Amino acid sequence: MAERTSPIRVLIAKPGLDGHDRGAKVLARGLRDEGFEVIYTGLRRTVDAIVAAAIEEDVDVVGCSILSGAHATLLPKLVSSLRASGASDVLVVAGGIIPEADRPELEQAGISGIFGPGTTIAEVATFLRANARRR
Amino acid sequence: MPVDAKHLAARRELAQGISAVERPGPAANQRIQDALAASAADARNALVVGLTGAPGAGKSSLAAALADVARAGGRRVAILAIDPSSHESGGALLGDRVRIDEHPDDDGRFTRSIATRGSGRSLAHVAAAATILVEAAGFDLIFVETVGAGQAEIGIARLADVLLVVEGPEGGDEVQAMKAGILEVADIVAVNKSDRPGAQAAFDRLRTGLALGAGAPELVLVSATVGAGISELLATIDEVGAGRGVRGRIRRVEAHLVAAAESHVDAQVREATASGALTTRAEQIVAGEQPLTGSITALFGISESPDA
Repeated sequence: MAERTSPIRVLIAKPGLDGHDRGAKVLARGLRDEGFEVIYTGLRRTVDAIVAAAIEEDVDVVGCSILSGAHATLLPKLVSSLRASGASDVLVVAGGIIPEADRPELEQAGISGIFGPGTTIAEVATFLRANARRR
Repeated sequence: MPVDAKHLAARRELAQGISAVERPGPAANQRIQDALAASAADARNALVVGLTGAPGAGKSSLAAALADVARAGGRRVAILAIDPSSHESGGALLGDRVRIDEHPDDDGRFTRSIATRGSGRSLAHVAAAATILVEAAGFDLIFVETVGAGQAEIGIARLADVLLVVEGPEGGDEVQAMKAGILEVADIVAVNKSDRPGAQAAFDRLRTGLALGAGAPELVLVSATVGAGISELLATIDEVGAGRGVRGRIRRVEAHLVAAAESHVDAQVREATASGALTTRAEQIVAGEQPLTGSITALFGISESPDA
């Protein structure tokens, strides 16, 4: 494995309308302590805003926290927008309340990791280190 | 309306360029030189505004408010938001975008969060280089916002054409205002949150304190959240920055050279610390086995002045 010369950059986004960002903040802080550069964008961002932010920040990972149930529409749209913008090597992962039954479809759409309640920060960090692009 | 992929291509190129110059070396230097050449060819003279101040003073909100007014006036505006990396983990939590509205389909705006990484200073090593790239990408007005050490933070003064110090309603008693440090090099001091109690009093205290010195900075009272005084502040910024010409770009290269030197020294210090060479040398000096003179050269490869 090639040694990274710079920290992995992760955009933590809250797409959609739910107003609960405690989980996202805990993850942002936890990943910072794991050595990641975390860009936190705040609540209620549109998919277009998240894509533009991911491009401008040149992130390796976009992590979405969704508690509203809108994951089935928002996440595939996010992945396709990123790809259309040339950022196809950006890893997209999701956390929040995502029913088991919805997972295969999301994975099919290009969501690389889905983390439900109870996932530890260390598990997320390990997954990102193993799967984020190298540079 | 979906974001136009073509529009994002230019922003993506700039974003990747900034990542590239975060890794110092010949490739980074080439990029910086190409950017300087492009700016010179197009006779670009971007105005670079440094914003600094204590945490919570409202630097991000003020940069965003100024950017909105400038963009409404047709200028292409970028914000570089610098936050500290953790000394422990090397990670960073970059949260300035929370206070900056996203404009995904506007190519006249660009925002980038930058971590200080190994710099151990409140300005990232890459700040000057990033500014040079952003200028070459056609942005006229560039805000560089840096974590407020509040005092003794002169890296940003070296880089910026105009240095704006942001104070909150609680900040700036008269004695603080007289102290040496960032206020000495400030071009403008903005007391933010004029909509809150105490802002006028803070403004008056600062005016009293600053008036005692020669070359006192401009002092303004603003509110980023309600938008009070923002156009006036932008006009003051333009006044202070007027007539800089190519001098601004020369200043950026100076800042980059100093940052590169500091980066080199910081790396040597980290290495000497990690390897134990620093402690070993200190032990030898304490035991009288090694002289103090020559130690800096031996440890960090920096030549000492003969008079030192």
